[in-house]
Amino acid sequence: MTTTTAPLAPTRSGPDRRAALTFPRIVTSEWIKFRSVRSTAWTLPITALTMAGLSALQAWAMTQFEGGETMGLVSAAPIITGGWFLAQLVVAVLAILTITGEYTTGMIRSTLAAVPTRLPALWAKALVLSVVVALVSVVAVALSYLAALPFLGTLGLGLDLGDPDVLRVVLGAPLYLTTIALFAFAVGTLMRHSAGAIAVVLGFLLVIENVLGGIPWRPLEVIAPFLPSRAGARLLTEQATLDMMDQGSTVATLTAWQGYGVLAAWTVLLLAAAAFLLRRRDA
Amino acid sequence: MIEATGLTKRYGKTTAVDRVSFTVQPGKVTGFLGPNGAGKSTTMRMIVGLDRPTAGTVTVNGKHYAQHRAPLHEVGTLLDAKAVHTGRTAQNHLLAMAATHGVGKARVEEVIEMTGLQTVARKRVGGFSLGMGQRLGIAAALLGDPQTLILDEPVNGLDPEGVLWVRNLVRYLASQGRTVFLSSHLMSEMAMTADHIIVVGRGRVIADAPVSDIVARAAGTTVRVRTPQAAHLEELVRGAGVTVTSSESGLLEITGSTAPAIGEAAARAGVVLHELTPVHGSLEDAYMQLTADDVEYHSTPVGGAAPTAPLGATAPQTEGALR
Repeated sequence: MTTTTAPLAPTRSGPDRRAALTFPRIVTSEWIKFRSVRSTAWTLPITALTMAGLSALQAWAMTQFEGGETMGLVSAAPIITGGWFLAQLVVAVLAILTITGEYTTGMIRSTLAAVPTRLPALWAKALVLSVVVALVSVVAVALSYLAALPFLGTLGLGLDLGDPDVLRVVLGAPLYLTTIALFAFAVGTLMRHSAGAIAVVLGFLLVIENVLGGIPWRPLEVIAPFLPSRAGARLLTEQATLDMMDQGSTVATLTAWQGYGVLAAWTVLLLAAAAFLLRRRDA
Repeated sequence: MIEATGLTKRYGKTTAVDRVSFTVQPGKVTGFLGPNGAGKSTTMRMIVGLDRPTAGTVTVNGKHYAQHRAPLHEVGTLLDAKAVHTGRTAQNHLLAMAATHGVGKARVEEVIEMTGLQTVARKRVGGFSLGMGQRLGIAAALLGDPQTLILDEPVNGLDPEGVLWVRNLVRYLASQGRTVFLSSHLMSEMAMTADHIIVVGRGRVIADAPVSDIVARAAGTTVRVRTPQAAHLEELVRGAGVTVTSSESGLLEITGSTAPAIGEAAARAGVVLHELTPVHGSLEDAYMQLTADDVEYHSTPVGGAAPTAPLGATAPQTEGALR
């Protein structure tokens, strides 16, 4: 490495009045950060391809049943969004790493020194993350449709986007995944450690919600419909299936949008707590 | 200009920074010196709002750091060479930092060149040596062409060439009228770089003065005298403000008098002198004296002897032995 011992070329020709910290600039900065770390660059295409692959697999598997069993499905929407369960895990990890990666490497100190008011940096990060996750999941759903298309004719399932129920499930996937990303991002900001935050979020999504739902103890049964992922996933379920699931239910039954509202409320609450602590804590 | 007033930071029962007040003036290199754990880094983090003071305030150019419209144009900071995402390249790191203030790509290239990072700019920071990390940190600090620079241990991990480069750089920046505040626990480095020194120990300001004053104040001027009639000479020179110490027989160290005065007194009394040497205290000695009681982590001398006595503490013993 060579050293420049020559004097610095001063560039300051009077203070530049336009050069100031603005929210759009912070968003640009966060976008540069987002795309310049390898893990994010390859996580997202993998998410989209995984979703498409799963849709094709599910559609193909259904054609293999005797007489083209469609398991009570009314449209192809649940098939082409069926990869959400796996996709949410990838998206959650990505969301956590965008913030905990800064804490574990010390980058957060550079970030907060550049944006000392702190919250704009948090919101800019959340914005970049949401937009990217939303776009990628829309692409993923479209790819899933193409992947499942060869089998849909055999199953006799169509995709009429004019049907509000179908449209809700199709658009529900990007909406659900984006919200899960923000949920995980908030947990990451609160915990500041990658491993801990990933364990908590994945533990919640994969284990706790399923285990709690299966325990026949009344207080747990009452709480279960309000757990974030279980509630939010109702947005991705056709009305016919929801009606079937809720038959004979002795606890609260939420509509699809109410379910999503519960997930959104969890997310807003956690984000508010994350913002509050980010302001107060030493970096 | 950086102004700290009653700045205090407590972590539970530990007080890291204890009612510290100081002013860092523009146009000078101000050294921030103290042993490890003295509160230097905490103080610097509080200046740029990364740590919240328990009490007191600190302003940069008259405002709290967070209140500036363009913080990176006001203050450039190197707080920690490792405050960079290891998975990102140096160039992308700088581009992202620059983007927050709308600083263009040209300036990013400029600071890469200034810090000699051209060959590694497109490599990921994870593979950087400590020295390269420091250069990247300094590059980031210079991005906004700021009026004030805060550099925490900038020469840490640099090779001799890098040390010289930092020294020239900060002197140059100060000569342009900028405020330069840099910390170190190395006195010798400060002696060559700083104009003014703030010494801290255990979270308190121990000294805040120009380099020359620090040396003079703490060490005073000592005269070393070698004579076979030590006891006689000691009686002759002893007086108000004069202290005499001895570390071996026939050798006196006299503080508070001057070589001519001692020489003349000896001549009048017919005392033979074998040596008469004015000794100027080094900055290193001054530093050791100032911080002796404030070092948080004392090392035990090799060989299992008694803990190192602070400089100057040897005086009473030898004075007694002399008589």
